[in-house]
Formats: sequence, structure tokens, C-alpha cells
Amino acid sequence: MRLELIVWSGLTLFYIIIGAIYWAVDGDAAGASLLLMATGLGGLIAGWIWHWRRHHDHPRPQDRVDGDAIDDTGIVGVYPTASLRPLALGLGMTAIALGVVLGSWMVLVGVAVVASQVALLTRDADQ
Amino acid sequence: MTTLDRDERPRENDLLSVDDFIGDEEGTDASAGRGLPRTILGWVTTTDHKAIGIAYAVTALVFLAIGGVLAGIIRAELAQPGLQVVDEATYNSVFTIHGSVMVYLFAVPFGFALANYLVPLQIGAPDLAFPRLNALSYWLFLFGGVIMLAGFLSDGGAAGFGWYAYPPLSGPLGSPELGADLWIIAIILTGTSGTLSAINIIATISMMRAPGMTMFRMPILCWNLFLTSFMVLLAFPVLTGALIMLEADRQFGTHFYDPGAGGSPILWQHLFWFFGHPEVYIVALPFFGVVTEIFPVFARKPLFGYKGLVLATLTIAALSTSVWAHHMFVTGAVVLPFFAATSFLIAVPTGVKVFNWIGTMWGGSISWEPPMLFAMGFLVTFVAGGVTGVMLASPTLDFHLNDTYFVVAHFHYVMGGTVIFSLFAAIYFWWPKVTGRMLSKRLGQYHFWMLVVGYNVTFFVMHLLGRDGMPRRVADYQPTDDFETWNLISSLGFVLLALSFVPFLYSVVSSFRRPMTAGADPWHANSLEWATSSPPPPHNFTWLPPIRSERPVFDLRWVNHRDVSAIGTSEAWTARQEHDKDVLPMHPYTDNYDDEPTAGARPRETDGAS
Repeated sequence: MRLELIVWSGLTLFYIIIGAIYWAVDGDAAGASLLLMATGLGGLIAGWIWHWRRHHDHPRPQDRVDGDAIDDTGIVGVYPTASLRPLALGLGMTAIALGVVLGSWMVLVGVAVVASQVALLTRDADQ
Repeated sequence: MTTLDRDERPRENDLLSVDDFIGDEEGTDASAGRGLPRTILGWVTTTDHKAIGIAYAVTALVFLAIGGVLAGIIRAELAQPGLQVVDEATYNSVFTIHGSVMVYLFAVPFGFALANYLVPLQIGAPDLAFPRLNALSYWLFLFGGVIMLAGFLSDGGAAGFGWYAYPPLSGPLGSPELGADLWIIAIILTGTSGTLSAINIIATISMMRAPGMTMFRMPILCWNLFLTSFMVLLAFPVLTGALIMLEADRQFGTHFYDPGAGGSPILWQHLFWFFGHPEVYIVALPFFGVVTEIFPVFARKPLFGYKGLVLATLTIAALSTSVWAHHMFVTGAVVLPFFAATSFLIAVPTGVKVFNWIGTMWGGSISWEPPMLFAMGFLVTFVAGGVTGVMLASPTLDFHLNDTYFVVAHFHYVMGGTVIFSLFAAIYFWWPKVTGRMLSKRLGQYHFWMLVVGYNVTFFVMHLLGRDGMPRRVADYQPTDDFETWNLISSLGFVLLALSFVPFLYSVVSSFRRPMTAGADPWHANSLEWATSSPPPPHNFTWLPPIRSERPVFDLRWVNHRDVSAIGTSEAWTARQEHDKDVLPMHPYTDNYDDEPTAGARPRETDGAS
């Protein structure tokens, strides 16, 4: 994860610098706050990776130049089978967004669909 | 790497084929897509990254067709002075939806199609990190697209304020009709979809690479998609927020962008272009990645300057968020030197990329298969568009050329040309992987030459129109304006451009009549997706080659030639054999997961890079 950490920290640092320059030459609040948020986003990912590195063994097999399939055998991941939840969630979210324009009843339907699907998704995940 | 003597050079039959390693799979049905859903319910509920990738690609191509029809209406209207085809209001809707469909519903989603299908295959993962989230992204994109097009059926027609929706024109007074609301909702949904996909791609590439696939052994396409995803995370939520504010202005009576009540239309421009400029790189970078995969394969050379390309992409990703106000030079409300300087700066990493692509081909043994033709077409149109981009980055020129057809020409070269040529390069290149069948080389050549001529005739003359002062986004012009000849030529060029899709479609249809005989590695390519069967089985790999360089499949074919394959490849094979000999007999099969024979790992003698 070292390279990932360098990439994200570097991007964060870049936004701090360019944000400071922009604030100095322009003083425009909109652009400066956007660059500040960009800094935060880069810092969020960099911070997560930093935290991950503190709590896990590294280098991982995928970070080692001599890593091979025999270093990381066993179960790679557990994958969901086919699921109707994404479609239902998508319809619910669309209904919420469209309801803002077409009528509040649609928002209510959308919220109900999303809530029920999130609940069912949690149940799926427990199994 | 040492050079082999002439006598020692391997003969053709010394080379291994990837198919030798994979072998025949049981239950292979040569007439059906392996691992893909077979029923409508299966497609609707699938969470498989390959199926969703195909769905993304097909949906994006349908939107390309719709956007193309709208472009046809524009070119038909402009072919002659006067109003022949549509009235002004409809024309506004047509060019707005043309731009929006092409940018939001075709170009970006096709990048996500590539990411969906190829990222797990290229890094040796079984799927994306969050498959159900991935399916949700697809549905949001599809519903968003349908809602945007539904604007044409609403009272007052679809949104007519241009794809960047400047208030107050897009505000409650400027565009009171329902179509404008539908446009905003559609972009909110597709933006959300893009953000979710970006999270998925970053998580997948960070956490799910195969052992040995270090960051610096990833294909450049994966690097580009990785950094594109970062830009998506930076840019799309800003747009979504800005659109929610705009919708609040329209529905709930807020005044974010209403200058009469203390709001600021310039705020919208800042927010929009903070999204909008990374957006053009979000569109372009995946397609840069595509041609970076294609040039080394058909030039028969390793990629020139791998780390330079990564660094260039990184620089583009960083700088892209600090150039946004070069779209706002004419407002007079931005610091010109800052944005001119950063805009010029971003030309440097882009130039590095072009240099590296040419360096890859330099002295290579180039074969002009259709993917290579289209990649070259990409290079030419992209450089032409990039040059005019540098011109427009200069505020003095921009004051003159902004909102003329010069900008339209620049934009279509740098976005349209990049995407279209690289898109077809990708389709011709990965078609055998996705379908197991080849596309016709001859038809591909017809397709390419018609497209390259049609494209350049259509869009090159727009530079001249812009220089002469033809404004963009107007339905009509006067015979006295002297724009007639160029507009007619442009419209005729569009006819050729549209006709170029005929050989492509014919080629696609006829390829499905042929058997799936492409094999795992028809192009003798480099990256990991060619190490699995075509089409890949569910969860992609039954077996992985050792990954010792950025082109593991090349190393695999040359595994018996130590001087040609990457350093360490042979050692990896030996280690595998030792591992099997030592570990496997010690753990007989049991029902207990912990005792499964594959649990043992090779002892770590050397510390690799972390």
C-alpha cells in the first residue's frame, strides 16, 4: 500500500499548495472552498490507507514484486449471486429524485422502496 | 535483457500459446456467451462485472446513436441558411440534449463500461469490489438517461439551455418548463451513478489485485481508470450539489443563482466548471488508456516510458482541478494569469503522453489491424484538438474565439475524436475477448477510412467558421454571412461520418454468425485479460500466470526463453512446482475449510517492495 499512500498524500499536498496559491492570487471563496474539499477528499483516502497500514500486515502479496498465486491462496472473496435489490434501489432513488418535480407522493413511495430494499439488503448480507 | 544470437532466436513453434495453458473447459458451450446471463431476468438481476460492463457499453452505444441522430438534425438545419427542419426552440432542445447525451450518457458511461469489464480482468480479480453497488450504478445511469430523453415528450419540450446550463437561463424564469427539471434530475442520477462506480473502481484496484500485480505492473488502462475515478470523486459530487441548488432555486424558491435577490450566477459557473473541466479528462483518460494498451501490441514493442505515462496521468489528474475557470475567461470575473498558466501547464503531461505513444511505435514492427488504425486516428484527432486547446488557453485568443464554432471544433476534436476513434479501437481490440469472435479486418478498414474522412470534413471546417465569427448554438444564419459553403461541406461530411457505421454494424452482425474460434489471445497481447478464455468464465480466472512485469501474457508465451520473458518468471514457475510438491500432499482434502490443501503459502525469504 506504500505507493497508494504516496499517490493520495501527494494529491492532497498538491491541493493544499494550489489552493493556497489560488486563495492568494484570487481570493475567490467558491474556488478556494472547492479546492479545500478536494484536499479533504485526498486526505480522507490517504488517511484511510495510513490507518489500514497500521493495522495490517504489509507488504501484501499484491505489493511484493516476487508475489505469486501461491502466496495468497484460499478464499479470495465471497460474491453475491444475482440480486433484484440494485434494480429496486435504483427505481426507488429515481422515484425520490423525480418526486421533487412531479409530486411529493412519489418521494414517499421512493423512500419506502429504498428503506425496504436497504433492510432486505442487510438481511441478504447476514446470510 | 540480452540480445539473442541469430541462431538462438526461437522458431515460431517454440512459442507457447495461451490456449495451451488454459486447456478445454468442461461444459463449454460454443454457441452461448460463457458466464453471461441467458434470460431477461438473469440480465436484470446480474451482479457480474462482465455482464454489467456489456450492459453499460450497449446502453452507451444506444445513447451514441440517439446523440448522433440529434447531431444529424443540427447539421441538417445548418446546411443552408433559413429554418428548414426545426424551429428555434426545438433547435435549442436538440443541441442541448445532443451535448448532454454525448457527454453524460455516452462518453463517461463508456469509460465505466471499459472499467467494469476490464479492470478485474486486467488486475486478476474475480469481480469488482462491490458487485451490487455496481449494478445499482448501472440502473441509475439508465434511468437518468431515460428521464433526460423523456423531456422531449413533456410540455414545452426538452431542456434548451445548453449542456452547461448557465443560470439565470436555466433558472425558474429562464426555463420554466418541465423538460429543464427532468434534465437536472437526470444529471443528478447519472452523477450519483458515476460517483458510486468510482468508489467501486478505486476499492477494486487498491485491494483486489492478484499477487505479484504491484501498482507499477498494472496496465496503463487501469492506472488511468484509477485516477479517472479519483477525478470523478472530486468532480461529480460538486455537480450534484450545484444541481440540487439549481433545482431548489426552481422548486423551493431559493436564490442561490438569482442575481436579483443576492445570488450569483458566477457561482454556478465556478461549480459547474469545477466539475466540467475534470470532466473532459474523466472522459478522455480511459480512452488514453485504451490506446496505450493497443500501441505496444501492434507495434510489437514494450511500452515506452511506463512510469512517465503514469506520472503524466497523475499530473493531469491533479492539474485538471485547477484549470476550471479557463472556461470563464469572458466573464471578466476570474484571475486570467492563474488559469492561463495552469491550462498551459496541463499541456505538458499531455505532450509527454503523445511523445511516449510515438516512442512506443518508433522502430516497431507495426501491423495495421483495425484496432491500430483507430488508435492512430485517435492520435491524429487528439493532437489536432490539443493544439487548438493550447490556443484557447490564451485569454487574448479566447476572448475572440469563445462561443464561436472554433470552440465547437476544438471540443469535438478533443472529446469527440478522442472518444470515437479510441472507442472503436477498443471495440475492435476487445471484441474477441468479449464475444470469442473476430471482427472483419477488411470491413474495419472501410469503417476507419470512412470515419476518418467524414469526421475531419465535418469538424475541420468548423475551425474556419469560428474564425470567421459564426456563433455557436444558433439555428440560423444569413446568406450574407458567407457561412454557407463551409456549413454545407460540414453537413456532407456528417453524411459520410454516419455512413461509416454501416460497415461496422454489418461486421458486428456477421461476426455473430461465425463460431467462437478467436481463442484466448488472438492478438498476441500483453495484459492479463488475455490469459483467460474468450469469453472469460464466471469470476474470470481458473488459473493465473506469474506476474513479473507489466505484460504477464507476453512473459507467458516466452516462458521458455529466459532472456526474453521478464526476470523472475522462471523462478516463479519453479516455486510453484516446489510449493505443490511440498504442500499439497501434506494436506489431504477434508470438509473443513481450514484444512483445505491450498492454505499453505510460500515462506517469505525476500522482502519485496511494499
